Amino acid sequence: MPEIGLNHFLVLSAILFSLGLFGIMTRRNAVVVLMGVELILNAANLNLVAFSKFNGTMSGVMFSMFGIILAAAEAAVALAIVLNIYARFKTVDIGEIDTMRE
Amino acid sequence: METVSFILFSFLGALVMVGSIGTVWSRNPVTSALFLVLNFFALGGIYLLLEAQFIAVVQVIVYAGAIMVLFLFTIMLLNLDDEQALKEKFDLQKGFGILLGGVLLVEVLYILGLKINLPQKSTTLTPVEIGEAKNIGRELITNFLFPFEIVSILLLLAVVGAIVLAKKNFSPNT
Amino acid sequence: MPNNLPEIIEQVKLSLGAFVPEISLSALFLLVITLDMVLNEKRVVIPMVSLVGFVITGFFTWQQLDMPNQEYFLRMHVVDPFAVFFKFLFLGAGALAVLITMDSEELGEKNVANIGEYYAVLIAMVLGMFLMASASDMLMMFLALELVSISSYILTGYLKHQIKSSEASLKYIIYGAVSSGLMVYGMSLIYGLTGQTNIYEIAKFISANEVDEVTLTLAALLVMGGFGYKIGAVPFHFWSPDVYEGAPTPVTAFLSVGSKAAGFAMLIRFFKVAIPAEPTGELAFDWVNFFALIALVSMLLGNFAAIWQSNVKRMLAYSSIAHAGYLLLGVLVADDLGTQAVMFYLAAYTVMTVGAFYVVILIANKIGSDDVNDYRGLGKRMPLTAAALTVFLVSLTGLPPTVGFIGKYMIFTALLGKGTVFLTLAIIGVLTSAVSLYYYFKIPLNMYLRESEDGAETPMESSAFANALAAFLMILTIGFGLFFTPLANFAKNSVIMLVMN
Repeated sequence: MPEIGLNHFLVLSAILFSLGLFGIMTRRNAVVVLMGVELILNAANLNLVAFSKFNGTMSGVMFSMFGIILAAAEAAVALAIVLNIYARFKTVDIGEIDTMRE
Repeated sequence: METVSFILFSFLGALVMVGSIGTVWSRNPVTSALFLVLNFFALGGIYLLLEAQFIAVVQVIVYAGAIMVLFLFTIMLLNLDDEQALKEKFDLQKGFGILLGGVLLVEVLYILGLKINLPQKSTTLTPVEIGEAKNIGRELITNFLFPFEIVSILLLLAVVGAIVLAKKNFSPNT
Repeated sequence: MPNNLPEIIEQVKLSLGAFVPEISLSALFLLVITLDMVLNEKRVVIPMVSLVGFVITGFFTWQQLDMPNQEYFLRMHVVDPFAVFFKFLFLGAGALAVLITMDSEELGEKNVANIGEYYAVLIAMVLGMFLMASASDMLMMFLALELVSISSYILTGYLKHQIKSSEASLKYIIYGAVSSGLMVYGMSLIYGLTGQTNIYEIAKFISANEVDEVTLTLAALLVMGGFGYKIGAVPFHFWSPDVYEGAPTPVTAFLSVGSKAAGFAMLIRFFKVAIPAEPTGELAFDWVNFFALIALVSMLLGNFAAIWQSNVKRMLAYSSIAHAGYLLLGVLVADDLGTQAVMFYLAAYTVMTVGAFYVVILIANKIGSDDVNDYRGLGKRMPLTAAALTVFLVSLTGLPPTVGFIGKYMIFTALLGKGTVFLTLAIIGVLTSAVSLYYYFKIPLNMYLRESEDGAETPMESSAFANALAAFLMILTIGFGLFFTPLANFAKNSVIMLVMN
């Protein structure tokens, strides 16, 4: 059995990151797009915590904690905007919310 | 010991992947949200493997507890019975292209991941100590005092903003 | 980092003295929220309180001019002339935003029941910009950027009963959240490579040790995603036309000057300090060529796409993409001359862009439209307003005798003598400016040479206050164009950035 090293965590985070990006690019439901953003933020946090453990500094863990707090704040505002969008457009499909293009 | 952690890592890693694939793939937003919860819990486990107990707990409480409840609330408020509102066309061609890009990205990062050489350890902290709540708390009111204070303003702003944007009967016209 | 408690307490005490402007802004933020809850009549009192608060903050910022260049708060926050210059710029832009909001029908009593939170969020945004200009740690950069972003999402969607404003805020938050996610991922890679989050420590590590080149490039590109979205440069510009068109016009004006300037402040500090241009020959990430490419595409796309727009706000959005390109030209020179030019240009850009948007507000107040075809005949109906708009557009094009000309002149001269690539970029910059002449002058053309469709010729002048403010901005635009030495010297003295070895 191989030892679990830094690279295992980095690869996991890279997969999370690209899945998040994939979700953002392909999905058209605004709520699911925001979930994709959460996946990306999680990937970054996983990176930070893993680096923090393997190089022995506290900054990574602290950074990831602030990242979690910010994700919460951003999600709150984003979902308030989504609710408002639903009240105006009766849909949350970002492909249909497009009134300004000429 | 190593075998145990390897098995745990494989198991949790698989759960993380299942969770995130389910999130981006499933058609129903509620299913997506539930997969995301699975993903968050599994990530919490991964953090435990990394000996970051405090972050693991925060991950579960804040992400799986607060953020996901927020997401689920929103989905419910969007009136799930209204199929039309949540239906979406899956653009297969575009999706395929981006999937390709994603795979490429994974590959690149995989190669990079193998090449990262870490800087020298600069502290005397052991990994276990790094993840301890005691040390995190101490850092928070010493070296990270400034960001800690700024975050309080940011949270207040987010609260004000969310209320302003979600409150009903805001405009005299409507 | 110090580890014993007394030393830390000593440091924090010392740092508080370097943090007075930000404390005053935070206090103002809380005060406005409180006032909003207790007052009945808010439309005059709260903006006045905000303006007074900005003036007080300006006084404290002025005192920082004499402070030693140093990092404070345990290496999170830096005070140097560079940051102070930008703080003045943000205060000026913030005060102008408050003034033009007061005069906007869009945000007037008819449309918005409660305006108190608007000013509170605006103040929080100025605070975030202050922090962006001073951040010396990646964590602080992230937090400050998010503070600005979250406030701008709220302000963009403030007219929530309006379809356009809601749509703009949704687009803004989706692009914003994605790009800040990319940025954090990039920052985590940089942290992994160097084991540091402080930009000075990162620079020290990169110059002393060998870092994996490909990973650093990737990380820097991802970080650039976050910054590029703030400055609105191609290829991170997709949000800006829709957001500029949909947001309430005062917010558009503030976003286009304030958050762009803050993005540039942070970008310059990050790339100049953390990833220096020419250290000892072998540079890990060649950001100069990368910026050159972004600047080139921004100038071309911004100017050519603007030609097809008939909505004035949307046209100004594309023009702001082009201006981000010109500004990046100054950044990529990476010497003091270039930075000075960028700072001067940002100050000039603030005056002329706020002016242009203010006039757009005044016209929209009267005719209820942002479409250039509805501007016909306005030269006779609103002579002063039309004249002011023409001056601002001349300045945005970069023609003498305006401040925009001096700004462009400084940027292009900074590029001379640095090699063929830079020369080519300067030439393209001049040529695209000529293209911009075409679409900017569509507006005066409609105002002066075409009659309105219904043949209305009744004069519709705005209030005395509005005329005074428009005239003031117009005088600034021309005045700084003729007597630019003080501003140029201020920018020159402010390029001093804390660089540690």
